[in-house]
Amino acid sequence: MLLDLPIIEKGSFYFIKDGKTDLILEDKTKRGLEINETSVDEKLNVKADKGMIHDMDGIGHWVPIRWYFSKDSYDLSEVLGHAESMEKKYTELRELTCPDDDD
Amino acid sequence: MIFFLNLGKTNKYESHFDKIMSYAHPEVLVDTEWVSQNPPNENRKLVEVDYDPVNGYQKGHINGASLIWWKRDINDPVTRDIISKKEFEALMSKNGITADTEVILYGDFNNWFAAFVFWVFKIYGHENLKIMNGGRKKWELENKDYTTDEPQLPSTTYVAQPPDEGLRAYLFDVSRGIGKEDTVMVDVRSPAEFTGQITAPPEYPMEHAQRGGHIPDANNIPWATAVNDADGTFKAVEELRQNYEPKGVTPDKDVICYCRIGERSSHSWFVLKYLLGYPKVRNYDGSWTEWGNMIGNPVEK
Repeated sequence: MLLDLPIIEKGSFYFIKDGKTDLILEDKTKRGLEINETSVDEKLNVKADKGMIHDMDGIGHWVPIRWYFSKDSYDLSEVLGHAESMEKKYTELRELTCPDDDD
Repeated sequence: MIFFLNLGKTNKYESHFDKIMSYAHPEVLVDTEWVSQNPPNENRKLVEVDYDPVNGYQKGHINGASLIWWKRDINDPVTRDIISKKEFEALMSKNGITADTEVILYGDFNNWFAAFVFWVFKIYGHENLKIMNGGRKKWELENKDYTTDEPQLPSTTYVAQPPDEGLRAYLFDVSRGIGKEDTVMVDVRSPAEFTGQITAPPEYPMEHAQRGGHIPDANNIPWATAVNDADGTFKAVEELRQNYEPKGVTPDKDVICYCRIGERSSHSWFVLKYLLGYPKVRNYDGSWTEWGNMIGNPVEK
């Protein structure tokens, strides 16, 4: 079970889990989203579980829920690089929509 | 009986025919086979109703079907409301529909939005109206053909009836109904939405409310309990009765259905009003995105 896999890195918006043959990067913002298909994510060029999110007009868009990075081809630092890019994107988005009231 | 031409041919058809005839208003349903054998013509129009036309109608639809896009065509573009009588008349004209046209609706998402549009058609008094049982789901399970050709429909002149407000519940109707013995609320959302564990399924991040939970004393009878999981068709009348009556949702009550944005609840509204024949059923289309966002509204978890 994916849920039971050991977490080797985590951020506010991601987990990296240790699978048998893959390092699995999970997008925490997509938790609970139904997996509709598993196919290659064209952006990262690795196998990904994908679901569909509907926008304000009701149009569905495919989004990756988790990516499977083969241990034969990727090491943790490369996966972490992708994870941190995602973390940065979501952090900026949160700042844009819910900025901290520090000042 | 024009809505089911295969009756009597085999036991399977007889059984299906018996099932449909046992509904209170069998005239509001057609099945996929009937639609495949009875294409649209001058007096009969087939309309696909989609929440997501990019992944539905535009990828393929039943030959001759026009499109009603729930978001664009049936909702006011600015105010949160259904379209006005004038806008409804214009929509009918665009779809080649007159007040006498037999209209068959079907759609994506288990016919939720087709049911919503059925409800709007009834608000504006269209009489000859049917739903294709099972919608796109059943049509696709049967590997029936789709086309991407869009029909060229001559515009018509359509005169709608004044809105029948008896089919619609507003916020104040719901507030007034709380605690009344003769009123029963049916919350057709998932148990997780009902208990407030989530405020919208993850697929719809734009449709959350500020508070989770349900309207006090509402019964949680998810829309899906009224359909057969395998093909999305409606359950038999006795199963439907058993689904609602033991929970106090009985024909003698004033029934108000709600969900998150009013589309799943129009599906249950259709079941209660047309398949079971309950005399007083209203759809609260403001639903949880209105109730759960209003300051001061009572919420139960």
